[in-house]
Amino acid sequence: MTESAIAAPSMSRERVGFSAHRVSVIAVNTLTEAVRQKVFILFLLIGLVFIALAVFFAQFTFGEQMKFIKDTCLGVISVITTLIAIVGTAQLLPSEVENRTIYTILAKPVRRFEFLLGKFCGSLLLLLLSMAAMCILFAAVLWIKEQGMIRELSQSYVGESPAAHVEAQKQIEQIQTEVLDVELVKALVADLAKATLIASVTLLVSTFSTSLVFNVVVPFMVYVVGMLRGTAAEMWGAHRLFMAVLAVFPDFGLFSIADEINLGKVVPWGHIGQIVTYGVARTLVIVVAAHLVFSRREI
Amino acid sequence: MDAIRTEQLTKKYDLGWRKGKLLALEKLNLRVREGEVYGLLGPNGSGKSTTLKLVLDLVVPTEGSAWIFDVPCSKVVSRLHVGFLPENPYFYRYLTGAETLEFYGKLCGMRGATLKKRIEELLDLVGLTRARHRRLAGYSKGMLQRIGLAQALIHDPKLLLLDEPTAGVDPIGSKDIRDLILRLKGMGKTVLLSSHLLAQVQDICDRIGVLNRGQMILEGDVQTLISDQRRLSITVQDLPEAARARVEEAVRATGASIVSVGHPQTTLEALFLEALRKDQRREGEHD
Ligand SMILES: Nc1ncnc2c1ncn2[C@@H]1O[C@H](COP(=O)(O)OP(=O)(O)OP(=O)(O)O)[C@@H](O)[C@H]1O
Ligand SMILES: [Mg+2]
Repeated sequence: MTESAIAAPSMSRERVGFSAHRVSVIAVNTLTEAVRQKVFILFLLIGLVFIALAVFFAQFTFGEQMKFIKDTCLGVISVITTLIAIVGTAQLLPSEVENRTIYTILAKPVRRFEFLLGKFCGSLLLLLLSMAAMCILFAAVLWIKEQGMIRELSQSYVGESPAAHVEAQKQIEQIQTEVLDVELVKALVADLAKATLIASVTLLVSTFSTSLVFNVVVPFMVYVVGMLRGTAAEMWGAHRLFMAVLAVFPDFGLFSIADEINLGKVVPWGHIGQIVTYGVARTLVIVVAAHLVFSRREI
Repeated sequence: MDAIRTEQLTKKYDLGWRKGKLLALEKLNLRVREGEVYGLLGPNGSGKSTTLKLVLDLVVPTEGSAWIFDVPCSKVVSRLHVGFLPENPYFYRYLTGAETLEFYGKLCGMRGATLKKRIEELLDLVGLTRARHRRLAGYSKGMLQRIGLAQALIHDPKLLLLDEPTAGVDPIGSKDIRDLILRLKGMGKTVLLSSHLLAQVQDICDRIGVLNRGQMILEGDVQTLISDQRRLSITVQDLPEAARARVEEAVRATGASIVSVGHPQTTLEALFLEALRKDQRREGEHD
């Protein structure tokens, strides 16, 4: 502590603008805290176990097996990311307020928006991390399956006619294209956009409620209503008031492209782009709303 | 320029639907001059913590306003040179002591070797060097208080707001903290602290203000407030019994009256500190 540090700088000219660095410091801290709490490791473990189990399903034809594995793994990843998005975000703000850790942070030159954004980004980092872990295992499962099938195929054609060899080679190639399926990437991207959106909904709810149960149940309900929105609109589309109420809920059904992929359809990238844009735009609006509530709130 | 200035600062807490409001602080006009140690005293619930939170913009005033170095408290810039130790501080349980300081240092825009060096300095200053790699979940109350103090000092602020800085700390630690506050004052820092341990405040504060039910009921310079100008006490050592009678007589001869004669008692705190000082095993182990 030097004397020069005390010499009063003229404070009127100093400024504290928005700082992405501070946001990232808070985000990394949030991630560290979440990882060390180990609760999410549990969710992640459950997901990983399910994905790993998929290796052992060996009935049906090769094509059916591949379809089954993809179906299961995408389903598991979708469920686990949704869970982590909701549970991981629900307690972020309430626990900061309850433990009063927020006091020491906001007593530093930190803007409330930076704090909120940092917390949210930390939650997204956690999502990305767990999704990456599940994807790596998913890829490993696919690879193991692929190798197994190829070995089986080549063995069954040993000693057969050259025509049969050509046939086997064709099948192997088909398996290889099945494994290197871009459609899977599309489904995962849509899934990430969905999880981000549901996390933002949870963040918004947690800015005005301190109850953990409420903060988990409400986003979950919003999610369910959002999933059924498309179907409901088809059934009762005539009622204008009903449609207006529905419009408040994000259309989560939009993100479920895994079903289409499993039916063997090719989803164009343009459509994925639209979905992601929709998700990001909605997320931004909701984060701004969360900021408006949070900045006025007594802590 | 005042380090802190408040005008008609008032806070009414909303107690929720149909429960009305609670007046926690009423029209406070506080001035903390640059370079002084100001003690905010008062019973539980008198509004001390509320005052500190208002100054830091952690709660929004119902009326009135406050300034830190003439910058309105509602602006983020006002907190650039402020360190805050909340009451019963609580930090991220899963971070270690060193990581905690690193986190707060980065929030203040510090980084690299400067930050590293500063963390070492502060851990040493608050006596937590040996506990630096332990997670805060395993820290005792007094250790949390110390890491809280280190966190408040991390960016070498000009103004310190300390809410009951010695709460939960053992007498040695408490003495250390008071010495530290005096050292900070020596460096030209301004300190605003709240406490209800009057004896401790007396030694370190230049000025005090007493709050009761949200109102300032007494304020002033500590020395003038507590010194009784009409009385004088002389402490002598090894005075023979015969001489004592003569001294008393001499006093009476001047027309003054003797209020009390007796053996001064040492304070329990002094006794405690002395005993610990003698017990060499305790040296440097209180982290
Ligand atoms: N968030 C809050 N909501 C409602 N009332 C509050 C809130 N915070 C404080 N109060 C009330 O405001 C009054 C002043 O509280 P404050 O914490 O400022 O007292 P204090 O002087 O710091 O007391 P202590 O010595 O116990 O720390 C108390 O009556 C308290 O109940
Ligand atoms: Mg208090």
